[in-house]
Amino acid sequence: MKVSDVFSYAFGAIRLRKLRAGLTTLGVVIGIAAIVALLSISQGLQDSITEQLQTGFATNTLIVSTGGGFGMGPGAMTATESDFNLLVNYTQIIDEIEDVVMSVAVIQKPGCHIRSGERELKLTVVGVDFAKYANIYSSTFEAESGEIPLDPENETVVVGKRVSDPWKNGTLFCDVDDGVEIVWTTGTLFDAKNETYTGHVAAVLKEIGGFGIGPSDSSVYIPILQAQSFFGTDECDTIIVQLENDDEATIESVSEAIDGAFSGQVSVTSSTAMLDIMSSVFSTVELFLAGIAAISLLVAGIGIMNIMIVSLMERTREIGILKALGMKSRTVLSIFLSEAVIVGLMGAAIGIASGWGLAHVVARVFSGGGGFMPAGDHAAAAGGMTITPVLTPTVFLGAFAFGLIVSVVFALYPAWRASKLKPVEALRYE
Amino acid sequence: MTTPVVETTNLKKTYMLGKVPVNALQGVNLKVEKGDFLAILGPSGSGKSTLLNMIGALDKPTEGKVFIEGVDVSTLNDNELADLRREIGFVFQFFNLIPRLTAKGNVELTMAIPGLGKSERRKRAEEVLETVGLKERVNHKPAELSGGERQRVAIARALANNAKFLLMDEPTGNIDSKTASGIIELVKGLNKEKDVTIIIVTHDQHIASQAKRTVQMLDGLIIKEEVN
Ligand SMILES: Nc1ncnc2c1ncn2[C@@H]1O[C@H](COP(=O)(O)OP(=O)(O)O)[C@@H](O)[C@H]1O
Ligand SMILES: [Mg+2]
Repeated sequence: MKVSDVFSYAFGAIRLRKLRAGLTTLGVVIGIAAIVALLSISQGLQDSITEQLQTGFATNTLIVSTGGGFGMGPGAMTATESDFNLLVNYTQIIDEIEDVVMSVAVIQKPGCHIRSGERELKLTVVGVDFAKYANIYSSTFEAESGEIPLDPENETVVVGKRVSDPWKNGTLFCDVDDGVEIVWTTGTLFDAKNETYTGHVAAVLKEIGGFGIGPSDSSVYIPILQAQSFFGTDECDTIIVQLENDDEATIESVSEAIDGAFSGQVSVTSSTAMLDIMSSVFSTVELFLAGIAAISLLVAGIGIMNIMIVSLMERTREIGILKALGMKSRTVLSIFLSEAVIVGLMGAAIGIASGWGLAHVVARVFSGGGGFMPAGDHAAAAGGMTITPVLTPTVFLGAFAFGLIVSVVFALYPAWRASKLKPVEALRYE
Repeated sequence: MTTPVVETTNLKKTYMLGKVPVNALQGVNLKVEKGDFLAILGPSGSGKSTLLNMIGALDKPTEGKVFIEGVDVSTLNDNELADLRREIGFVFQFFNLIPRLTAKGNVELTMAIPGLGKSERRKRAEEVLETVGLKERVNHKPAELSGGERQRVAIARALANNAKFLLMDEPTGNIDSKTASGIIELVKGLNKEKDVTIIIVTHDQHIASQAKRTVQMLDGLIIKEEVN
């Protein structure tokens, strides 16, 4: 029997039982859609995180902290519980180290209130040396309007895009040259003291869209000296170190030198190490998600097998007729397998399409569209991160192959049983 | 003398019903020459269908041999048996048509199995359906046809591949006598005009009288042979 005739016979058999075939296909569709959606979203997420980490923090930087904060990297857990404090002027020590271009201390105070006119937002105030910070993060700490003062006068404020335009609808919270008040509450709950910093907006940063370690859309920046006096501290949260290059050897030697300079009381994380950790976390998550999706496909496969066995009983007589007409066992086998191939191909095609659609829906929900940052005193933690689902050829072909293989593998046994039926017995079957 | 189309020698078949052996055939010797029209008569349970299944290569004997055009069927493997079945036109009591296919589809299927091309088999299907008088019903499914018409489709199917011979197992058993005589006329005509070899199992004395030769079976044995 010709292959085309085998397929059209199989197709006719499927069409006869549309509902049943539809439900069988649905099993494959769901499994494949889940795989495609999960993998394309996580691929997209991975791409955008990688991209943002790369723009947010150049590969030739190290981050020094007292531990905890970035204690993810190998050898980064060296910080202790001693009363070691990272001071702003430690940048001078770090600057002495070979291969260090410069370093910049960062003071970060979350939960500050910023007031402009009647409105108020709650967000993180960051104290940095504008000139150095702009140098390290030249692509992100960049003004969209106004100008970042490299030698700032007192009370200058630089705000992120989401601080200036938190609702993304043209209603500005503040703009260049506006006066703003920053209120920082110190002391205990019952003995709270409000410190107020009055400044004017010198620049609004261009949109970054990231959530990396570097500049953020939803922070307010003030000069480091002002931050020190406003927050009444000489301590900083992190020191960003810019290196001559991003060679592994340089990263290693500078990391060690910094570690040595502070007798192992700081943790040093390189941006490349962060990327590595991120990507390994992602492959694990991806594998896990794919595993879950694969289980759903397995269930679909068992469904196919079940339905084919039922269908085999119903069609015993038909098989008897075919064999009495001289059909060979292998042709009977290929008819049944063709039915599985058709179901598998349709399921995979529909599954990939709907998984792709689902990925876009989910990505849109995640990306937050607009209005992510509610008015009032909540500020968006992460800026509007956009995820674009990515369907790699591997995932596309893999999904197809997987749908097909699952369908065929689970059809093998019923198909084999069908092919082995003896003509007389099959014909006697009621 | 030429080789008989069908020959059985001491053919025996024993079924096991649980632990009880049922001797359906107890040594049948039969010869059918080309162009013959043989009617097999006998009461229910006498082994007629069993004999026909052996000749049609649908089942294997417990003992004895079946020769088709001189070839010992017991020496054939599964694939060769399938090939042989393509050259035998089997007509069943219960028609055994594929319900989802039209009359033409059913006839075409039997030609698609040996790999005949689409246009040829379409042409041939229309031809044989016309021969059995179903020209106007080619696109009807079995459920839309009467019992007599279904049996005609089954006969058309048996004729389509230019079978070496037709085996008919009570082809009129499930249709009314008026339709049955139409079928018999058709079968007689096929034998007379197209020289088709026919072996037909029947209860019907009238049909038997139309045949060239009859054999009488009882308890798995041929007990009487006569030439009309
Ligand atoms: N597959 C089978 N298993 C057990 N017994 C069978 C089977 N086929 C036929 N028989 C028995 O063999 C005998 C002959 O049957 P059959 O050839 O169908 O008779 P007929 O066609 O003459 O009515 C009967 O007793 C029947 O019950
Ligand atoms: Mg019978």
